[in-house]
This record gives sequence, C-alpha cells and structure tokens, in this order.
Amino acid sequence: MEILKAERLVKIYQDNGVPVSALNNINLTVSKGEYVVIAGPSGSGKTTLLNLLGALDKPTEGRIYFEGEDITTKDKNELSKIRLHKLGFIFQAYNLIPVLTAIENIEFSMMLLGISDKERKEKALALMDELGIKELANKRPNEMSGGQQQRVAVARAIVNNPSVVLADEPTANLDSVTAGHLLDLMEQMNSEKNITFIFSSHDKNVIDRAKRLIILKDGRIDN
Amino acid sequence: MKLLIKLAWRNIWRNKRRSILTLAAIMFASLLAIAMRGIQLGTYDLNIKNVVELFSGYLQIQEKGYNDNPNLNSSFQVSTNIINALKDTKGVSGFSPRIYADGLISYKDESRGASIFAIEPGAESQVTSFMKNVNKGKFFSSDSSNEIVLGSELLDNLNAKVGDNVIILAQGYDGALENNKFKIVGTVKFGAPGMEAATVIMGIKTAQSLLAMENHVNAIAIKIQNIEQLKKVKFSLAGKIKSSSLSVLSWESINPGLEQLLEFSNVRGIVFLGILFVIVAFGILNTVLMSVTERYREFGVVLSIGMPQIKLAYLIYLETFFITLVGIVLGNISGYILNSYIVHHPIMFGGELKKFYETYHFLPQAQSSVQFSIFINVSISIIFISLLSCIYPAYKVYKLEPLKGIRHT
Ligand SMILES: Nc1ncnc2c1ncn2[C@@H]1O[C@H](COP(=O)(O)OP(=O)(O)O)[C@@H](O)[C@H]1O
Ligand SMILES: [Mg+2]
Repeated sequence: MEILKAERLVKIYQDNGVPVSALNNINLTVSKGEYVVIAGPSGSGKTTLLNLLGALDKPTEGRIYFEGEDITTKDKNELSKIRLHKLGFIFQAYNLIPVLTAIENIEFSMMLLGISDKERKEKALALMDELGIKELANKRPNEMSGGQQQRVAVARAIVNNPSVVLADEPTANLDSVTAGHLLDLMEQMNSEKNITFIFSSHDKNVIDRAKRLIILKDGRIDN
Repeated sequence: MKLLIKLAWRNIWRNKRRSILTLAAIMFASLLAIAMRGIQLGTYDLNIKNVVELFSGYLQIQEKGYNDNPNLNSSFQVSTNIINALKDTKGVSGFSPRIYADGLISYKDESRGASIFAIEPGAESQVTSFMKNVNKGKFFSSDSSNEIVLGSELLDNLNAKVGDNVIILAQGYDGALENNKFKIVGTVKFGAPGMEAATVIMGIKTAQSLLAMENHVNAIAIKIQNIEQLKKVKFSLAGKIKSSSLSVLSWESINPGLEQLLEFSNVRGIVFLGILFVIVAFGILNTVLMSVTERYREFGVVLSIGMPQIKLAYLIYLETFFITLVGIVLGNISGYILNSYIVHHPIMFGGELKKFYETYHFLPQAQSSVQFSIFINVSISIIFISLLSCIYPAYKVYKLEPLKGIRHT
C-alpha cells in the first residue's frame, strides 16, 4: 500500500535573498512497512527532504501525498495534527524533554493525544519492556547515555503507532556498536509492527543495512 | 493534563536562580503592596475613627444648609418625632444634641476667640469619646451648671487655672450680645493643638440660656453600631424624619476636609502601587521572554512531534502562574505578619512629622490593617499583571514554527 508519494518536489531556500536550491525534481513513493535509508553527502538535501515528508516544511513546488491526501495545501494546524496522529520523529540529538523522565517523555506524546493517565503508563511500560529499556523508566535524560536516550526517543516516536517514522541521522551521535543496537531495534519494530521507517544517514554501516536505499546528490535522486 | 502541570513545575526549577529571583521580586512586590495598602487603609480608618468617634459621630441630623454655612440660627427643636425616629431606627446606638457658637472668652486682661461647643454630658458619652480626654480637673456632669471645660492650650493662653472664673461673650440667637460668668472645671487635650487653643465646652442648657435659643440645637450627633451599615442606617433614619427642613449627613459630609485629604492620600497610594506593578510587569516580561527564547530548540522538538502551539503557550502561562502563585503566597504570609505586627505596635511619629500631622488634625501615628480585601486585591492585581505580561512571550511561542525552533541555536 502506497503511504507517501512525492511528485516533482522542488525546494529553494532564500539565504539572505540568495536563492539556494536544496531539492530538485524529486519523485518518490514509499509503501507501508518499507525501511528506507536516504543517503548522500552533507548538503545533498537529506534533511530538507525529510522535513518535507514529515510535514514540517512546505515545498517550493510539487506535491506530497500522505495516505492519498495532498499535505502541501494544508495549514499549520492540520499539519500539526497529521504529525501528532500519523508520524513519529527521531532526532540526531535525541531531543528528549530534559525535565521529564524516560517514561514521562514517552507518555508526553500520548498526553498530546488525550490518552488517560493510567493507559499512558501501561502502554509506555509495555513498550519499554519490549525495547529492553524498562530499567530506564525513571531516569532523566541527563542520567542516560546517548544510546539509551535514543532508544527512549525511538519509543517516544512509535508509541502512538504512527504510519511513518522519520529519523534524520539518528545514529550520527552514537558509536558504531550502539548505532548497531539502535538499528536492530528499528529493524525489529519494522518487521514486528510493520512500521514504515524513513531515515537519513551518511554512515556506511547504516547504508549497508538498508532494505531500500535512496541516494541524494545535489538535491537530486541519484540511483 | 497532569503531565503538563508536572512539566511546567519542573521547568520552573531548571533555572533555579532566575526563578527564585522572579519569585522573590513577586513576593517583595506583594509584600510591599500589602504593607502600603495596610498602612494606607489602617491609618485612614484610624483617623476616621479618631475624628468621627472623638467628635463628629458617624451621622448627624442638621438643618438643611447648616453644613455648608454653619450659623447659630440654622437650628431646630429636638421634637418627639426626631427622638422616636432615632429610637426606631435599627443600628442607631446613641445620639446627642449639640450647639456650636462663636464667642470671646476673657480672664483678667487676656481675651481669646472661643469655639463654643455645647453638649449633654450623659448623651454625649454614648456617642463620642472626647469627654475621656480630660487633661486637668474633671468634666462637668450637669448640662445646666455654669461649669465649663477648656482646651488645654486655651487655658494656658488665658494664663488661667482650673477653678478660675471667666467671662464669655457671644452673639445670641436674637442678635444681641450676651455674656455670662463661668467656672473652669477642667481641660481637655486631643492631640490637635489648633483646636485646643479655642475649644470651650459647656452644658447644652447653659448654652441655650447664654445664647437665648430656648430649646433649639444645631445638630444631633449619632453613633451607629456597625460602620459597614452606615448608608443603610442613614437612609432608614432619613425616611423616618418627617421634617423637610432637616437632613441626615454622614461623616464624609460633616468633615469634608478629612475625606478629601484621605481620598488624596488614597489616590496617591494607588498611583504608587500602579507604578510598582508596571515595574513588576516588565520584570516578569523580561524573565519569561528569556526563559522562552532559551528553549526555542526544545519547543521546536515538541512542536515537531505534534504538540499544538496553543498548548505550548498554555505551558508558558502555567509556568508563570506557578511562580507568581508561590511568590504571592509568600508575599501574603509575610505581609500578614508585618501588617499584624504594625496593628499591634502602631508607628508613632515624633518631631516635625508629629507637628505636621497634628496641624492637620491627624493622629501622629501610622496604623496598619489586616482586612481581607487588601490581600485579595493585591493578589488579584499581581496575578493579573503577571498573566498580562505573559501575553507577548506566549504569543511568540504560539507563532513559533517547529523548524525555526529546531534550527534556533
Ligand atoms: N534554512 C535554510 N536556509 C538556506 N539554505 C538552507 C537551509 N537549510 C538547508 N539549506 C541548504 O540546502 C542544502 C541542503 O541542505 P540539507 O537538506 O540540510 O542537507 P543535508 O541534510 O543532506 O546535509 C544545503 O546547501 C544547505 O546549505
Ligand atoms: Mg542534514
């Protein structure tokens, strides 16, 4: 089933009045349950593409269809709702909320959906158990290692059962062993729960494990 | 919702130093406001009580026009209708007829202007308290004897002593000059030297015969049980008095200068508080704005994962509200302690300040108040201004784009 479709995407940034072309005529279709890695050197447009697919930004030209709906015409609030209900995000710098414990960070996404206290706790604990991070439940981000924080971030991203999880260089701050564990985890979630993953990387280890690889070069797909 | 509250509360303590400074500023502002308002209203009440309970009474019945143009001829008889009206009105706890007249008092070679104040000692002691302020000698007990009491300064100015006889000359009701001999039996002192240099107090019957005004009086001073019922009692009494030439006046009209002076200092106090609150508002605006800009990146992240902007703005409000609330609670507690301390230990003025206050017939002391409305008004005002000063930072957060937040460094 087709879940994301990008048609002739163009993104031109204005950098102090100077137009910078970041993406040029991108066509892309992602189906439910795919595990896609976007690779390419720095500046090739990976972040820009993920931002567009993640409804965080709008293309200069072209259309993006999410579950068949054109999201390029939607307003701020509608996009926010789509992100909340349908998408999960993992960031390079983990970006957990520093004053909340691991379990509270995971609950946070569910709170935004209005899920009750009790249900939130149960679901968060069950997921943490599944991801093998149960013992981190009451730790704050600054009490956890980078790898541990990123696992919690994965849990936060998938707890609301999103259609797609987008991750911009999720392993860039991790050593290769920890990165490997994180990839195991994401692959496991992909195969067990059929969650679609799209993430970017310029790390060879990650690229080698990609089930589908999209290579970006100067804002174009280079396959 | 509970998680959001938790988040707000913990966010406050992330930058402990800043939060404590903000909190301390709010606490100090509420303490200052409560202390100032307390002294303002406490001293206000004290002076009203002083003047009103000492002399004027809370209400007076007078002939219409007398208050604006006091003269002996604006007088009336204490009819049974008036007495019944006073007795039938709920909340009236005492009343006392009075005559005010001007005259000249002489002892040997010294003569001084005299403000004659004639009363019925038995009734007057039910209404006002100046009879307790006997300085030398005693107060006369019959309203028809030729015994008088002088302001203590007047006695000194006349070079007379208690027990001496004096002559009082006054223009009577019929226009003719009258005079009579009186015996000084005591002096009174109120802490208002200007007044003490002229006051001559005598019995009401004595005055009526000196001034040839038969059974007429100039005013009936009235004491009421509960100041808060002043308007009600006034209205109900006015309804019962049949005579169209009489009016019932409250203490503000009887003592217009006092009311104006108090009103002026009240307005001045409110203006000062207004300035204080504006300063506090800018302080809060500054800290909230700082704490918001610092967290743009974090906000970008939560916006990315789908937190509605409005909820984020709400979070900012919650944080400010918590700091304000804690500051206000501490400010109220310390304000209550300070105000009750002053209530029990009023500040007494000395030296020049004392003289200044006495010139305006004020007691040379500052009193405070712990009346509930002070705390409520100050707290509501500060909560209001703190929420007001949050509008701009909350608006900035409301307008924040997730990517702008993430990129912000
Ligand atoms: N906000 C922006 N304003 C201007 N230029 C930008 C902005 N974001 C990215 N770019 C430019 O767009 C191009 C693609 O950037 P990016 O998508 O971040 O690439 P990658 O993530 O692959 O490193 C680069 O040339 C970058 O300088
Ligand atoms: Mg990038």
